[in-house]
Amino acid sequence: MTSDRPLVTPAVVRRVAELARLRLPEEDLERWSGQLSRIVAYIDQLASIPEEAFGSAATGPATPVRADEPRDGEGERALEANAPRQLHGYGVVPRVVGSGS
Amino acid sequence: MSNRTGVLPGVVETAAAVSARRQSAVGVVEDALARIGEGDGRVRAFLEVTGDLALEEARGVDARVAAGERLPLAGVPLALKDNIWVAGRRATCASKVLAGFRPPGDSTVAARLRKAGAVFIGRANMDEFAMGSSTENSSSHVTRNPWDLGRVPGGSSGGSAAAVAARFVPGGFGSDTGGSIRQPAACCGVVGFKPTYGRVSRYGLIAFASSLDQIGPLTRSVGDAARLYRAVAGFDPLDSTTAQREVGDPEGAVGRGVAGLRVGLLAEAESAGLEPEVAENLETARRIFRDAGADVVSVSVPRATAAIAIYYVVASAEASSNLARFDGVRYGPRSTDADLTSLYVESRTAGFGPEVKRRILLGTFALASGYYEAYYGRAMRVRQLLCADFDRAFAAADVIVCPSIPGPAFRVGEKTDDPLTMYLSDVFTVPASLAGLPAISVPSGLTRGGLPLGIQVLAPRFGEEAVFAAARALEEGVGFPDALSPVSE
Repeated sequence: MTSDRPLVTPAVVRRVAELARLRLPEEDLERWSGQLSRIVAYIDQLASIPEEAFGSAATGPATPVRADEPRDGEGERALEANAPRQLHGYGVVPRVVGSGS
Repeated sequence: MSNRTGVLPGVVETAAAVSARRQSAVGVVEDALARIGEGDGRVRAFLEVTGDLALEEARGVDARVAAGERLPLAGVPLALKDNIWVAGRRATCASKVLAGFRPPGDSTVAARLRKAGAVFIGRANMDEFAMGSSTENSSSHVTRNPWDLGRVPGGSSGGSAAAVAARFVPGGFGSDTGGSIRQPAACCGVVGFKPTYGRVSRYGLIAFASSLDQIGPLTRSVGDAARLYRAVAGFDPLDSTTAQREVGDPEGAVGRGVAGLRVGLLAEAESAGLEPEVAENLETARRIFRDAGADVVSVSVPRATAAIAIYYVVASAEASSNLARFDGVRYGPRSTDADLTSLYVESRTAGFGPEVKRRILLGTFALASGYYEAYYGRAMRVRQLLCADFDRAFAAADVIVCPSIPGPAFRVGEKTDDPLTMYLSDVFTVPASLAGLPAISVPSGLTRGGLPLGIQVLAPRFGEEAVFAAARALEEGVGFPDALSPVSE
């Protein structure tokens, strides 16, 4: 950090909230910017680790695999018990394609 | 019916009494419900007490015992955190975004506990989506610490910890992503155990950060924790991250002792400017292990000091991805049907609380184009350095010992306006989470103000037996009182 400019500006907060599908009131952006900037400033200690500290990337354990056998995931029952709106066994959402009018 | 003014029997003792038919499971559950009825108005450990279902399950357990079944958890009533699916109950993560959610069945953990004869007494309160260190982020209510009702129980599994500390139930389960079992256990004067990443199935655990989340028990004794852990551990085809390894004999390890065991005290904790009483507890632990015949050494994990910074990038990034599914389409309240984008945005905005939004924003930022390499990429690389540090430390020690919490439970409201200070509550628990290590918190004594503190024991991955052996030696040496906590007197 070499300037007083917040690390996460209100404009960045606005953009990130859009990506995250959250609506933040315009008057709260400064507060979010301050809080997130303070957290990100703390996280920035990771940037001070010299490049030579990192060796070659370690390889983790192999991803385990299993047979691809169908089983009842109970999805329909879960949908039936929980969907806010449903019709004919399907979840209902607003029209996505076309104007609908 | 047990005497409610006496010491509540633990998990092992309760199962033995029900198995020998000295006590019925129904009687045990009625007793637990009466304790909850008397004390939970003040502690508020539960989001919901499912008394009728628990009594029905207890009747089933009594029938199985009468039929000659041997059940390691016969009639043991448990408090399960509200992010673990239990058939017939809701599971909401203490979030409005999942209000009313009914899971399609048992999680693997619940199914295994049920098979072992346990009974589910209620849904324990938690920080929303397990994000927090105080249980103040629940969308429902704040749970209080049974040792001091003006203080938090820790978090995020604060409801489970408080229910055990208040002697409502002999055991509970929580989930631990960065310390969410061990930190509240320490704050509430109970034992909390996070198994190795991959030991316990997460099928039916609502995900927070998938490279870290692990389910584990909270109890009043190390032996009880080993019994509960044994019941749920092991490979599960429904969770491909579970390890195909033998679980071994954790209960047998409890009495094994520590003679010749190399116990490494974490140098970074000792040099961290500990609060005097935390430092005193660590000194006591050193003496206890030495007197018990262990070889006490000092070990260094240099990158442990970077753990919180790594954690808040990695966990938040994973959370922003995992929580993308909560959009008002398939479950939870829907705020509008105006158009699809508004449906997502308004349902999420109304459903998530401030801390969850903060983590989603932080995680989305860390993963966003232009920031990804500097934050997420960097954090993942430093995480590897931390893991390598632990590998080197475990070449010199069989277990590592450090405090569980930097100080006793704080006051309700004390840290709610300061997220970063709240995050630092987990400074001693996050390193084991990032490295996937098994770690337990054992009550290590009371401060002069009468509040519990805890000491942690860590081992290499799949080293649960060493954890239980060392933890029991510590427990025996400390002699933490198993008397009633103040609220249940």
